[in-house]
Amino acid sequence: MTAPDTPKLSLTQVLLCGAAIVTLSMGIRHGFGLWLQPITMDRGWSRETFAFAIAVQNLAWGAAGPIAGGLADRFGAFKVLIAGSVLYALGLVFMALATSGMAFTGSAGILLGLAQSGTTYAVVYGVIGRNVAPDKRSWAMGVAAAAGSFGQFLMVPVENWLIGSFGWQEALFIVGCLALAMVPLALGLKEPPHAHAPGAHQQTIGQALREAFAYPSFRWLTAGYFVCGFQVVFIGVHMPSYLKDQGLTPNVATTALALIGLFNVFGTYTAGTLGQRLPKRYILSTIYTLRSLAIVVFLNAPLTPTSVYVFSAVMGVLWLSTVPPTNAVVAQIFGVRYLSMLGGFVFFSHQIGSFLGVWLGGRLYDSTGSYDVVWWIAVALGVFAALANLPVKEAAIVRPTPVGASA
Amino acid sequence: MKARHAVLAWLAAAAALLGVFLAYLRPDLATTLANQIWNCF
Repeated sequence: MTAPDTPKLSLTQVLLCGAAIVTLSMGIRHGFGLWLQPITMDRGWSRETFAFAIAVQNLAWGAAGPIAGGLADRFGAFKVLIAGSVLYALGLVFMALATSGMAFTGSAGILLGLAQSGTTYAVVYGVIGRNVAPDKRSWAMGVAAAAGSFGQFLMVPVENWLIGSFGWQEALFIVGCLALAMVPLALGLKEPPHAHAPGAHQQTIGQALREAFAYPSFRWLTAGYFVCGFQVVFIGVHMPSYLKDQGLTPNVATTALALIGLFNVFGTYTAGTLGQRLPKRYILSTIYTLRSLAIVVFLNAPLTPTSVYVFSAVMGVLWLSTVPPTNAVVAQIFGVRYLSMLGGFVFFSHQIGSFLGVWLGGRLYDSTGSYDVVWWIAVALGVFAALANLPVKEAAIVRPTPVGASA
Repeated sequence: MKARHAVLAWLAAAAALLGVFLAYLRPDLATTLANQIWNCF
């Protein structure tokens, strides 16, 4: 049995600071698409230049996640959060100043990807895991995830207003200053040096990694999260053009985007709360099943603005609702000592799924002339993820008792 | 007292969400987003 660490920070402090950080870090990045047109027009770049940088950003975020998580577990989350905030601000400033495609990819792609790996869920969840008692942990993760969802929802209109009022370059500088607000918030998540409860199993990072990857439940969770990334990003990126192909007006897509954002806040909070009462594997399995069902009904029902809005609301509820239960299960199985690093590995799988969702969506559309094949791949993957989560064992992993632990 | 605080917190959250949702329906943002979406893909 894994002995939990003794909580050291107050619940209110962890939730307020953690939620505010995730609101900013998830929110700022969500509106990057708004800069596509002004930047490419002003710099004379192709859309591909901009899109490539954002693709690199997503991969860098995923690839750096385990490293940022490992550093947070080893040296303290607040140090990683501060470094991430400074990188975030620098990335935005360099993004504003970049005059070549390579410089833009280095700033908007690599720097901001690294910044996000240090300021988003995996790192903040490590602090929540270590400082919130297990009987409230899933709920607390739900609160933080809902804050991230709210940030995404909020920042699109805010950033649009900033660009319209101050110009695209100045707007990036202002958002860069906003990113620096995460520095004082990170100080609120400063934990005392690790003081493990008596009997807690001491592991090296390598041992923790070998243990996790040898454990089937971890592999199932990771596979399920891949599907989450694939479905969410495919729908988020390609649904508008699907609606356009079907003859619906642009306003329908905009309202659909707003509905996804609105219901996403409720979905993430509810999933975290339910995770406190129900087995998380069943919650995850249900989420993936409902996603597949929603897609099947959407594809087979007559396509009208109303059907799009209903689908968007349902998908919004299911959008990031996988985040709290997935991370809470990792904490439940392996304990909280290396939660950020292990969460980072699971999230890397999510980002590979995201990349494939965008890329395959475009690739198969070009080769077949429609999105039908990718929609059905998304359905099949949802069924796979629903089944993959069922055998997950949520009980704490059994480890050999450390010598002298019983003394 | 605690219940009243909870109700107030939920009302504040609902008002914030409604406010942001209404921001999406403003013609200027709707137009920008619509152009953005169609122009991107």
